[in-house]
Parts: sequence; C-alpha cells; structure tokens
Amino acid sequence: MKLPGFVNLFGAWFLLALIPLIILYFLKLRRPKMEVPSLALWQSVVNDQRVNSPFQKFRRNLLLLLQILLLCLLVLALMQPFLQADAEVAEYKPLLIDCSASMSATDEFTGKTRLELVKERVRAQIDNLTGDQRISLFAFSNTGRRLTEFSNDRRALLKALEALQATDMPGQLDDVLRMAAAYTRTFPIKTVTILTDGNLPDQVDFELPFSLDVQRVDAGGPNVGITEMSARRSGPEEWEVFVRVSASSVDLRGAELQLWEDGEQRESHQVEVSNEESERLVFPVTANQTKPLEARLVPAGFDSLAVDNRVWLTLPAARPLKVWVSPKLASWRHAVRVQPNLDLEESETAEPRGAEYDLLIVDEDGAGSAEAPVKLFVGVVPSDLQELIKVEEDVSSVVDWNRTAPMLRHVQLADVQIGEQPRLAVGAATKDLEERGYEVLIDGNAGPLMLQRREGLSVSYWFTFHTDRSTLPYRVGFPIIAANVVEAALKQASLSEVVAAATGVLPPISVDANRSYTIRTPDGETLSAEANVAGTLDGIAASRVGRYDVMDGSNIVTSIGTGLLSGTETSLKPVEELRFSELTVATDEAKQLDSDKPFWWFLALLAFGVLMFEWWYFQRARGVMV
Amino acid sequence: MSDTAPSQLTTLFDNSTLNQIERMRLKPNRRLTNRARGEHLSGKGGSSTDFADFRDYVAGDDLRYVDWNIFARLRRPYIKQFQHEEEMHVVLLVDASTSMLFEDKMLRAKQLAAAFGIMGLQNVERVSAYAIHARQDQPWMLPPGAGRTRIRKLLKFLEGIEGGGNIPIEKAIETMLRFHRGRGVAIIISDFLTFGDVSRPLNLLYSAGLEVWGLQVLAESEIHPNVQGDLRFVDSETQETLDITNASELLNVYQDQRIWLQNALHSMCRSRQGRFMSVSSGMTLPTILFEHLCRQGWILR
Repeated sequence: MKLPGFVNLFGAWFLLALIPLIILYFLKLRRPKMEVPSLALWQSVVNDQRVNSPFQKFRRNLLLLLQILLLCLLVLALMQPFLQADAEVAEYKPLLIDCSASMSATDEFTGKTRLELVKERVRAQIDNLTGDQRISLFAFSNTGRRLTEFSNDRRALLKALEALQATDMPGQLDDVLRMAAAYTRTFPIKTVTILTDGNLPDQVDFELPFSLDVQRVDAGGPNVGITEMSARRSGPEEWEVFVRVSASSVDLRGAELQLWEDGEQRESHQVEVSNEESERLVFPVTANQTKPLEARLVPAGFDSLAVDNRVWLTLPAARPLKVWVSPKLASWRHAVRVQPNLDLEESETAEPRGAEYDLLIVDEDGAGSAEAPVKLFVGVVPSDLQELIKVEEDVSSVVDWNRTAPMLRHVQLADVQIGEQPRLAVGAATKDLEERGYEVLIDGNAGPLMLQRREGLSVSYWFTFHTDRSTLPYRVGFPIIAANVVEAALKQASLSEVVAAATGVLPPISVDANRSYTIRTPDGETLSAEANVAGTLDGIAASRVGRYDVMDGSNIVTSIGTGLLSGTETSLKPVEELRFSELTVATDEAKQLDSDKPFWWFLALLAFGVLMFEWWYFQRARGVMV
Repeated sequence: MSDTAPSQLTTLFDNSTLNQIERMRLKPNRRLTNRARGEHLSGKGGSSTDFADFRDYVAGDDLRYVDWNIFARLRRPYIKQFQHEEEMHVVLLVDASTSMLFEDKMLRAKQLAAAFGIMGLQNVERVSAYAIHARQDQPWMLPPGAGRTRIRKLLKFLEGIEGGGNIPIEKAIETMLRFHRGRGVAIIISDFLTFGDVSRPLNLLYSAGLEVWGLQVLAESEIHPNVQGDLRFVDSETQETLDITNASELLNVYQDQRIWLQNALHSMCRSRQGRFMSVSSGMTLPTILFEHLCRQGWILR
C-alpha cells in the first residue's frame, strides 16, 4: 500500500495549534456552576467503572475530541495530501497526445471521439496536479508540436488541451519523441506518457532515453474509407482511375462509392469490404484537359471515421512528353524515338530550341539553358564530383547495380564491357558521394558507373562513362533503360500516372515564378505562399482533407485536393506493441492514466461533517433542537 | 422555617406534635444503661423488686440476697437476683455542617433531634446533644442531663443551631466521644455525605457502649437531582469543583451510588446492632416519626 504524499508539508506546523486548543478548551470551558451539598456522591459517580469505561470517557470529552479531530482534518487538508500514483512522485510529466486522424473516430454508442476520451483523462490529470508537478502537453500526428511548456498552471494547460483538435493526418511517433527527448537535457524526465488509440506504425526509429508509458483508449467503431486513389493513362486522353476501399470491421461493410467530376456525380458503385481486405475499383475517365475528380464514399451504416470518405484527384491535361536528346547521342535518340506519346525535338543543333522540356538526354556538351525535371547525362561526371571521380582510359565492368531503382528496372547489366574506367580518387569513398547528394546506381570495378541525384522536384541521372564506348547499346537492357527514363519523365510530368495527394504537405504546384499566391484551405483559412524561381509552390502544409484553392487575388489559379489515404488510419487497428531500436513497449488499453489523486477536499468535507455533528450533538443535548 | 406559632413551646414543631412525642419512648435493640438508676432495666442483676434469676452463692455475696426458703429445702445457698433499673444515655448528634443547610435538611434534623431528646427526657434518660458545625459563636454541645426540666434547655440548644462549616461526620463523632461518658444510644442525624470512612467512628461508638442509630436526612434535590448538560458542581463545604459532562446521562449511576451508600450505612449500623434509616427532608415530621420510625420499631407509642 502506498502512503499518501503531501504537497504542503509545512502545513504540519499548524498541528501546534492543538496545544492552545487543548489549553483553551480547559480554560474556557464555560460550564454552569451548580452548588451541591456535597460532591461525595458525584465523585463516586465519576469514579464509577461504568462512567470510566473508554466509551464513557470518550463521551465525556467528546467536545474536545471532536475539536481535535476537526483541527487535525483541517491541517491535513491544508497539507494537501494526495494518493501517489507511482512509488515516487514524478515532477515533470510530458504527455504526448495522439491527434492523428484515427483519434477523431467516434464511438457508435457514446458519440465521443477518441480524442475526447483522451482529453478527459488528461483533464483529470491536470485537475489532480499537485504543487510541485509540472505537465507539458505535446500533440502529434505525422509530426509533433509542443502545446505548453512544463507548467502547473491549470488554466493554461486546460486551455491548450481544449484547443486541441484531431488532424486529418496519420500518426507518427518519431518527431514528437525526439522533441520530448530534447527536453530530457533540461528537465529530469523519467517517464513519457503517450495517450493514443494505438493506431500507430509499430516500428519506431528512435532510441528511448526515458521509459515510455503507452496508454491507449479503446479502438473506435466500424469504419470504411478510401485508402488509395490514383489514375493511369490508358490512352492519349483515356485514364483509368483506381480507388481502393478498406474497412475496419470484421463484418462486411457496405458502402456506395461515388465518383464526382466538377461537382457532378459521374458514377457510383456499391462495395462491400471487411477487415484485412480491400476492394479496388476502376473507373475509366476521358480527359483531354485538366479534370478534378472527387471520390466519395457513402457508408451504408454507422461510420466511425468520416474524414477518410472523400479523396480528390486532379487529372492533368493530355499532352505528349517533350524530349530533347543531344545530337551526338544517336543510340539514345534512336531508343527514345520509339516510345509512345512522345514529342522528340528533331534538331541537329547542339543546343535545344526550347527552354523547358520534360526530359533532357545530354552528353558532355550540355543542353544550354534548357531545363527539365528529368535529365540524363551520358559520359559526364558531375562538376562537384570532378575531384572524387576520374575517368581513365581503361576497361571496366559492372560489379553490381541497384535492381530496385526505377531507372534500372528489368535491366541486366552483367558482362557489359566498358571502354572507360571511372575511378574513385584515392581516399574517396561512396559515402563522400552520398554526402553530396548522389546515390550510386551502378558500381564498377573501380568506381561508380551511374549516379542519381534528386534536387527538389527534378531528378538527374549520370552515366560517368560514355555509353557509346561500351557494349551497353547492343544489349537488350539499353532500350529498357531508355523506356525507364521516359517513364520517369512521364511520371514526373504526371502524364502517365497521377496519385491523389495525401494530407501533410501539398505536392508542388506549378504556377508563375516569383509571384505571391494565396492558398484557401478547406477550413476557410488563407495561407500566403511565394512561388520560387522554377515556378512552383511547395512546402504548403495541408493538415485537413479537402480542396485547397490556389488564388491569385480573387481568381482561382488551380485547385488540389487531399485525402487521408492511410490504410493504417482507416483500419483503426491498434498495435499491441511498439518496436523501438532496442526494446519493445506494450500498449495497454486497460491501463488508465495514473495520476496523483489529491483528497484534501475529502478531508475538508469530513471536517465540515464533524463540525455539523458537533453542532447537532451538543445542541441536541441542551434541548435546543427537537 | 417554623411550623409553629410564636405561642408554641418550641419553634421546631407545634404543641400537639409535642404532646404526641411526649407519649413515645425510644426502643433500643440492646439494654445499654448507666449505673445511675433510671427507668431502663439493666441487663445486670439489680435491686429492684422484679425477680430475675438465681445463682450459686459465692463468698463475699451479700447474705441479704440469699433465698432462705430454697436453702431450707435444698441445704444449699442460692443468691436471688433482681433486675436492675438503670438510666439509659441518649446522645443526639446533629450534623449542622453546610451540606445540611440545603432545603429543609437542617430543620428536619433539628426536629428529629428534639423529638428523640424529648422522648428520652420524658422517660428519665440522660440526654446530651452535640451539634456538628464550625461556628465559634454557637454552642456545640449540650451536656448530659435528665429530667423533664431539661426539655426546654434541649429545645433552646437545638433551636439555636444555625450550622455551617466543614466538619466531617467521622471527625465529629471522634470529638464527641472525647467528652462523652455513658452507655446508651447514639442517634446520628446527618446526610452522611462524607469522603471519609464512617466505619471507624461507628466502631468507636459501639466500643463506647452506644447503640448506633443512623438517620440520614437528604434533600429532595439529592434524592432526585434535576441536572442536565455540562455542569461544574461546587461542594458547598469545601468549595471544590467537579466537572460533569452530560449530567443527565449519569443520573442512573448517581442513584445506584446513593442506594449503595444507604445500603453500606445500613449494613454498618446493623453489624453494630444498630439501626439506619434514610428519610427525605421533604417529608413532614409526623410522617417520619409516626409512620416510618414507628413502623421500623425505632420508637414505641
């Protein structure tokens, strides 16, 4: 049994008031005097064993005992006792509150969301806060944010708690744990408490510097939602729109999936899914220009989570891929030309005529000032790697290649003979390349043969050897590589495949360069954003599911919609344990948020009861009360 | 204070009551008498005309008491014994301490003492009276005397007792015994509310040849106290205090203690061949005398 603790131990000094109380009791007890002939009989009465029985003694000094009891209760209440939740009193308690989309799942019967349940627990924790305890509130979804500093200001804590709302984003622990870990350097934090519904990735890339107390509320009710929406070009103006519907319930859940175009319902389809299963539906759509689509799911019964029932997807306008290939790279030009939906600039000039392309395949002569989101350099070592990679006149061969890279998918490079030998400088290593943002796709016997680098939206591929000085153009893999690079360019230009944007950050939006725009969010709020030199708006936070309008003044330039699109969130399935780098932490539904429970109010109430009893008893004895 | 008119013989009771008292006499359990001749028959052989018994003659006996008729028949001398009439000493001990000043206790005690004294004097007994008080200005003792002429002195002595002070009954008895000579009856009229031990003075009385008659006079407020709540009792004699909480709830114990005290005093007196009775000061004198005392055999009508 844990002994109660006291917040205000100095209050015990008030127990010294017992001394004057007892003295005053005997000094100031105003008993009516009554003269009797002799005390002999009354003295014998007082000495009688019955009168001196413990109970009778107690009754004789009942007033004093009640007053002592009253004082003790008041002093104890003043000392602010509390029942300790843990063996030792935690002074600093970081509470990490899950605000991911699944926390807005409602209970079918109570109508309360998971977040409301968590708030109730945290509210009790704040109400029971003792004097030397400090709480800091953190909220997390896909990222973490601190709501309050460590504080015992109940009003401020409750205000921050009440303002907390669930976001439309999936939950991730990493960020918020790192934030909490940062606080361990300045505060003696022993345990960090996570309040969640358990709908989190079970693998967390984090080394815990503190003990973790994961407490979860019960899982939400049945739910059905859209977890995936994408479109793939099936013809010059034909698209196939894929929508995946998942459910959290074990039982089959029925719903009507509707596809809306420009505010009009175009198609609908009945789906029935159950837990661990999903149904993928395909809608053929014709679009020769930009077309916004919206998938709506109308559940047949109770649906715990509404936020995953709507997803937006914008189909881009149909156009051919704009490609320029250096005139010297005849093999590449020949391989690219055969690809469909492609506009290859047939020009014998050394530099492209246009300024913007979707794909540039260039040699050491470069492409002038032309830009493209996908570039392929052949026989070129990046300028910032010149000191690390030297190309020597020697024969080299392929040692290994990244088979999972999209660029090298379905490509066999074994036995390719290369007449040049890119060689890493003495002392240089692959990590030096990686530090400069390059990823090695093909390793040669002396150095990297192919590199990849991503810069923002653009990606560039670098063959450090000239393919014409190798047997690669004669291999089956060469046209495949050409097809892969075209496919990458198509994807980058959203011409072959487009995926609905998930909440979090809006995908880059192409607008006029160096201009200011206003983003109107689904909540009705407006954000300001500045287009960069390349004419893209990026890094725009999108925490809500819905349509985001990019406005230039009062004109809508373009719109982009987001959806939750998280199978984990839609499933509402709690993880039983979280696996960290070195240990596993169980999530416990039954475990309640343990807090120190003050009971000074109970003692004060008891003191009031004693006071009332005393008043009643002695008034009754004197016959005042009937 | 007075039950009688000024023309009465005494202020303690009226003449009709006096007349009734004069026709009564005390009825002691034992025949404890003095050598002086009186109207009480002595237990010893005497010279009265009433024959008592015979006994063998021993050398030195007065030959005048030899029964010559028996000697003539039996040829052996027998001494004829006669009952000896001697006077009995009646000692009246009236508690006049402060505790007796409550309600009618003092008056009733003086009336009873006067009644007992008159009965003794009317029957040619020696009567002495002692008042237990601490008043220096008042007599505390009436020397022994006999004869009807002592009645007025006795009444005057008793009427003059005002009482007061704190003298325990046991000490008063011991003091009295230092002055007293003679056998008879010691009538103690008191409330017997003392912290001391009464058994020792009773033993002394018994040893002194006095039959102990204890008459406890209690006020109505002592028999049925009407108290409640938290009180501070003040002893009228010592001014000592005693705090009582919820006095009303202690009344049962109080009654038990009062009955226990009566029983203890009764037992002490009976074991010394005496008598004990407790009366209320609220009773009238005739009621006490003619109903209770007569019925209990203390006095004869």
